[in-house]
Amino acid sequence: MTTSPDVLAESGALLELDGVSRVYGVEVLVHALRDVDLKVMPGDFMSIVGPSGSGKSTMLGLLGLLDLPTSGSIRIGGVDATQLEDTERSRLRGDAIGFVFQQFHLIPHLTALGNVETALLYRGIKARDRRDRAMGALEQVGLGERYDHRPIQMSGGEQQRVALARAIVTEPLIVLADEPTGALDTENAANVMDIFGSLRSPDRAIVFVTHDLEIADLTDRKISMRDGQIVGDEQQVHETSTAR
Amino acid sequence: MSRFIELVGVSIAGLTARKVRTLLIMLGPILGVSAIIAAIGFSESSKGDLKSKLAELGTDLIVVSAQNTIGGVGGDPKLPVEAVARVDRLDTVAHVSAVIELPGIVTLPFEGSREFYQAFPVPVIAADGRLPAAVDVDVVSGRWLNDFDNANEARTAVIGVELAEEYAYQRNEVRTITLDGINYAVVGVLDKVELVPSLNTTVFIPPATAVADWGVEDEAPSRLYVRSPGATELTADVLPTVINLGGPEDVGVEVPSDLLETESQVDSTLTVLTIAMGVIALTVGGVGIANVMSISVIQRSGEIGIRRALGHSRATIAGQFLLEAIAVGVLGGVIGAVVGVAVVWALAELNDFVVVLNRQVIVLATVAAMLVSVLFGLYPSMKAARLEPLETLRLG
Ligand SMILES: Nc1ncnc2c1ncn2[C@@H]1O[C@H](COP(=O)(O)OP(=O)(O)OP(=O)(O)O)[C@@H](O)[C@H]1O
Ligand SMILES: [Mg+2]
Repeated sequence: MTTSPDVLAESGALLELDGVSRVYGVEVLVHALRDVDLKVMPGDFMSIVGPSGSGKSTMLGLLGLLDLPTSGSIRIGGVDATQLEDTERSRLRGDAIGFVFQQFHLIPHLTALGNVETALLYRGIKARDRRDRAMGALEQVGLGERYDHRPIQMSGGEQQRVALARAIVTEPLIVLADEPTGALDTENAANVMDIFGSLRSPDRAIVFVTHDLEIADLTDRKISMRDGQIVGDEQQVHETSTAR
Repeated sequence: MSRFIELVGVSIAGLTARKVRTLLIMLGPILGVSAIIAAIGFSESSKGDLKSKLAELGTDLIVVSAQNTIGGVGGDPKLPVEAVARVDRLDTVAHVSAVIELPGIVTLPFEGSREFYQAFPVPVIAADGRLPAAVDVDVVSGRWLNDFDNANEARTAVIGVELAEEYAYQRNEVRTITLDGINYAVVGVLDKVELVPSLNTTVFIPPATAVADWGVEDEAPSRLYVRSPGATELTADVLPTVINLGGPEDVGVEVPSDLLETESQVDSTLTVLTIAMGVIALTVGGVGIANVMSISVIQRSGEIGIRRALGHSRATIAGQFLLEAIAVGVLGGVIGAVVGVAVVWALAELNDFVVVLNRQVIVLATVAAMLVSVLFGLYPSMKAARLEPLETLRLG
């Protein structure tokens, strides 16, 4: 089940949008994304910024194989994901990608451990191994002791950390986060960003959609969007190589 | 396989997280199944005593009667004299007994009761020694007519159990009754013959006595009682030919238990009606499942979205919700079956019925509940599978 370097395409990109457009609606058409090209490289620590409605979340959804483009292709490990059956695309998504959302999206009737384990289901992993790995991920985000708690018993910051544990328990090569700190106060936001920082590795790409310019400034690569198009792709140089 | 077990676990977790709702949607299958089982169980149990009586009496008695006047006197239909011997030769026949009807005899339990008993004559028949064996009933008092009675043309009589009651006959009492003024000694009382109730009010006398006293020409029987265990139908079919080699149309054959059997059949229109009611209850329950689950799918769209984001396919999501529906159907069906059986027991107890539980009905009703829940769970499951994950997740 481990994500392996065969996810890499010849271009070296983990993920590649090629002429991707996404049009919503039937009669009234909304061009959420227009002919976008983007390569997400291993080791990328990237932010996507832009005004509301510029297509950031739409692009993240496409990068995460949660949505299909109206035209264009999404290549992951050299495979055009738009051509795959739902079952295969879902498997690929589960193996290669970890999501974090602004609203945490924990399943309310499951414990923290249950929520993290959900990411390991249907993959032929023994119940015991699922549990051990989920515990490990919870410990990694500092919530090992809270494994038995339900979302309602946890603060927003804690819930987002559980969501983070769930995103990384599969050891994905790509982590996609849509406003992960949007619902958190400064302290919790910083805590969560610290964890993201600790997840960085040369093999892995971490992508944030954010309105928060401070967060955007922490990243190495900043994509700017406007009206469904990428209008800027800057490398940002920091004093230290890690975003601390 | 492990994937399926995980799916079952996920579905059960989803159901137990919302216990009240789960119980509510289970109410449909519970009501449907229990209604069907209770309705059919009750109507079958109401006939249960008839059925058990039938089982007790057996269904192997055949009554053969003469249909025309061949060999008869004064227009009385008679079978050939050799009839008993011919029937006795059949391998499938265990017992055969011949009786001769003696019409028009006024029987009186005592002098001075003439008026009443002439108006309501008591049948008198000449019966051979094998009648009790043929109808599978013993005497409750005294003895049956024997060879000695017959050989001596004795004026002895056995009376039916209802006649004994009517005559206020005491057990082993020495009693004389008069047949057209001739005194006969009552030597026994024949127990109740359920399959041939007319015998319960009959006076039996020896055949030789009948010839001597009542002008019967020979011992040509009016009727035969034939016991044929295991091959009743077959025997009944061949009897007319065997008895009356010339013209079988002169021989009437009847299996008295057939009538009881028909009577013990549950009224089919009522059954259809109750089944229809149960099916409607099940269907309404199914619609309830579809309804509540559809709402549930909307409420749980966040859960569905995140599961999709975590790599669960559309098929897996559909399976998860379908399994929830199936679990509701199976559990509801089983609970409904238990409730239905309990209702049948309670009603039978109250009405003093013999409990009759049709296992087939119980299994079928439970399976039906499961099928209905699958059918009606299909739509919400598809709906869950079709949800666009991004739309449920972007919110916020
Ligand atoms: N399901 C949909 N149906 C129709 N239009 C949609 C749908 N989803 C998104 N849109 C439209 O597509 C455009 C891009 O939306 P998107 O959510 O990607 O923007 P965004 O950059 O993430 O905005 P925000 O910063 O507010 O989250 C918007 O105009 C939005 O209204
Ligand atoms: Mg957005």
